[in-house]
Order: sequence, then C-alpha cells, then structure tokens
Amino acid sequence: MHENGFGKIGENMNSMLHDQDASARSDAGIIVMSMFFAGILIVAFTTSPIASGTEIGERAPIFTAKATNGNGWESFAFEDLLDLSWTWNSTEESPWVAVEFLDIDCGYCKSSATEVGEWAQMYNAEQWPGPDVVFIAIAVGFLGDHTRAELLEFRTQYNNNFLYVDDLDVSIAKDWDVGATPTYFLVQPDGIVAWNSQATNGLGWDAKEEKSVPLNGFDDGYVQLNEAIEQLTMLNGGE
Amino acid sequence: MNEYAILSIHGAVILFGVVLMTPMGGSVASLFHSRYPSTTTKRGQILAGMIFVCLGGFTVSAQTLWMHNKLSEGASVCAGNSILNCDGLIGNVAYNTDPLFGQPWGLIGMFAFTTLMWFVITIAKEPMSPQTQLFIKGGLAATIAGLPVIMLLVSYEIKEGLICPFCTVAHITNIIALIGFFVLFRLYESDEWAPDMKKSSRK
Repeated sequence: MHENGFGKIGENMNSMLHDQDASARSDAGIIVMSMFFAGILIVAFTTSPIASGTEIGERAPIFTAKATNGNGWESFAFEDLLDLSWTWNSTEESPWVAVEFLDIDCGYCKSSATEVGEWAQMYNAEQWPGPDVVFIAIAVGFLGDHTRAELLEFRTQYNNNFLYVDDLDVSIAKDWDVGATPTYFLVQPDGIVAWNSQATNGLGWDAKEEKSVPLNGFDDGYVQLNEAIEQLTMLNGGE
Repeated sequence: MNEYAILSIHGAVILFGVVLMTPMGGSVASLFHSRYPSTTTKRGQILAGMIFVCLGGFTVSAQTLWMHNKLSEGASVCAGNSILNCDGLIGNVAYNTDPLFGQPWGLIGMFAFTTLMWFVITIAKEPMSPQTQLFIKGGLAATIAGLPVIMLLVSYEIKEGLICPFCTVAHITNIIALIGFFVLFRLYESDEWAPDMKKSSRK
C-alpha cells in the first residue's frame, strides 16, 4: 500500500516535470517564431524583390566572359552595359540591350545574321527616334566545337559590328536557360528582361506599368527582335 | 541612416551579449537580477548573454536579407570604392543564394539564429530538464555546422576581393555562439551548473 502510494507520487512528479519541459519548449518556440515572422514581415513590407532569371520582368543574370569587338579578346562584364538606377522616367539616355544567342553552325543564325547586323546599326542611328539599343551576340557551341577564330570570321562575314561574347562552353546559355539558337532577349537599361523570343514570344514587359503586355508580330504573328524593340522601347510614347 | 551606423547597432547588441557572457559582465548582469533572478548565477548570466548574441545575429541576418531584396530592385545599399562592399557580394547572383535550396543567405542566417535562440531560451527556462544536455549539444552541433558555410562565404569574398561587413558580423556571431555553447557544455559537466545541487543528483 505504502509502496504503491510513493510510486504514484513519483509518477505524478515525473509527469509534472515533463509537462514543465514541454511548456518551456513551446514557450521558447512561440517567442522565436514570433521574432522570425516579425523579421520576415518587416523585410516583406519594406522591399519588393525581383527574381533573377530570363522570364520577362525578371533581372537578367549577369556574367563576365571574353568578348571581341573585332580586335582581340578582352574581358567583358555584362553589368557594365547596365544602369541599375534607370527608370522609365529617367532623363539619362541609357541604352537598352539586345542579346542574341547564336551558334555559327545554325542555319537560321546564318540566314538572319545580316539582318541582325542591320538592326544593330539602325537602332543606334540618329534617325531612330527611340532610345539607343546596344547589340551583343553570345556565341555558343551547341552544334560543334568552334574556335574563336571561326567566331571572328562569322562576325566579319555578316558585317556584325557589335560585341561577340565567347560562350563556347555554354555556361552563359545555361544561366540564361537557352536551349536552342537563335534566341533573342531585349533587356531594359536596368537589367530587367523586357522580351524573351523563346519563352513568351508574344509578350513584353511594360517598364512604365511594370506588367506584361501583348506584342504584335507584324507579318505572321511571330514577334521578331526588331518588332519587340520598336514596340517596347516606344511603348509609352518613347523619349 | 548610414549603413555603418545601423551595423553598429547590431554590433552593440552582440557586444552587450558578449560582455554578459564574460566574468566582466557581473555588474551588467546585476541590472537584471530583480526581474530575472537566474542571472545571479554564472549559468544564467551566460544564457542571458547568448540571447543578446543570437538576437544580434538574427537582426544582422534580417538586414542582409533586406539588402538582398533591395539590391534585386536595383538599389545600392552598401557600395564603396574600398574593399568593404556588400553590393558586390549580396547583389552578386552567382553567390547570394545557398547552392542547395537557392535561398538568400540572409534568410538562412535568420533561420539559424532563430534555432539557436530556441535552444538558448529552452535551456534558460528549464535548466534542470533531462533534455538540457541534448539542447546544449544541439546548439553546439548547429554552430559547428555553420563553420563550413562561413568558409564557403569567405571563399566568395576572397574570390571577389571584397568584404561584406554585415555578412562578416553574422559569421563572427556564429563563432561567438559556438564558444558560448561550448562554455555551457563545460559548465553543465561541472557542479557550477546548479551550485546548490550535486551533479550526480541532477542526472
């Protein structure tokens, strides 16, 4: 009888201690979870983060690589082309960036190369009423092993007087999620992707309203790079 | 407010915690004696200090997450011509998220210091619990697991030739917490954990 009584008291004490431990853990849990969510809420309400990626409205991945303007290969940083403080209402004339991923063995890249070269000159000319558009070609090695000399030869052959970036190891293509050539991107001066020829061909990013807008393909419904440039850079009346 | 002024606030909270954890912190701890009697003991003093250290680690991590988001918007938050530059690291998409989950390092830091704080508060609330040793070991393991992460992030800083002061403060705070948990572990093994109880009677 005595032993049973003490045993019961022991059990009750043990149970009370376990309850206290559990209570300490849950109290601590409530305190730290409140702190965590308060921190998250403050960050969430005071910032509007933009994801990095190549969908329209995302921030284009930056890269550094060797590039040529026709005279040797030098280090090039994509970031140097950008003006992160740019907004649609900026008075500064920061250029937009047209990015072409090409493979010198790809048939369509060859057939459109001359036209792309002409666009590069046209959208930088005095007669063009919109903001300047800087063209860069990122040469990938999807279809075979090429050399830098072959890239230079291709550039000269098609009169592409703009920067050619060496991505023969396709590392930049991987970051930009490019699986086929040619793929074109139009990037706002602040680095936001305004148009992606493959993923969402018929949609562009309205820099002023910060939302996607439908684009027109003038001939066949398929939007070409020049059509995206003309519609998006002049979307709200141009400069 | 200047970013270094904000950093010094985080630093002051951490430093206050460090002072509390050391024997020098006795007089500081006396401020808490009436409200928190446990701070009269060495154990309570160290645990109180660790709460401030973890809080400072949490707030500095939250600020790096805030910077991460601000930089993605195109703002500049902590750039300079000197080697001290957060923008070049927190704003660098190649380095600013963890390779496993793709989450910003600031968020990982917030999660880590929240977990450490949970260990510390639980130990402080129930220091005689049979699970106390487990929690101390858990804190020790978590802070040791942070060391390879710190090494990875320092390797990014070396690669870029830049130092991110906010990230560095978070790294140092993890190391302080590691030392704190180690001191708690040693204290638990001694009679000083609960001076009025013999160690054998605690187990």
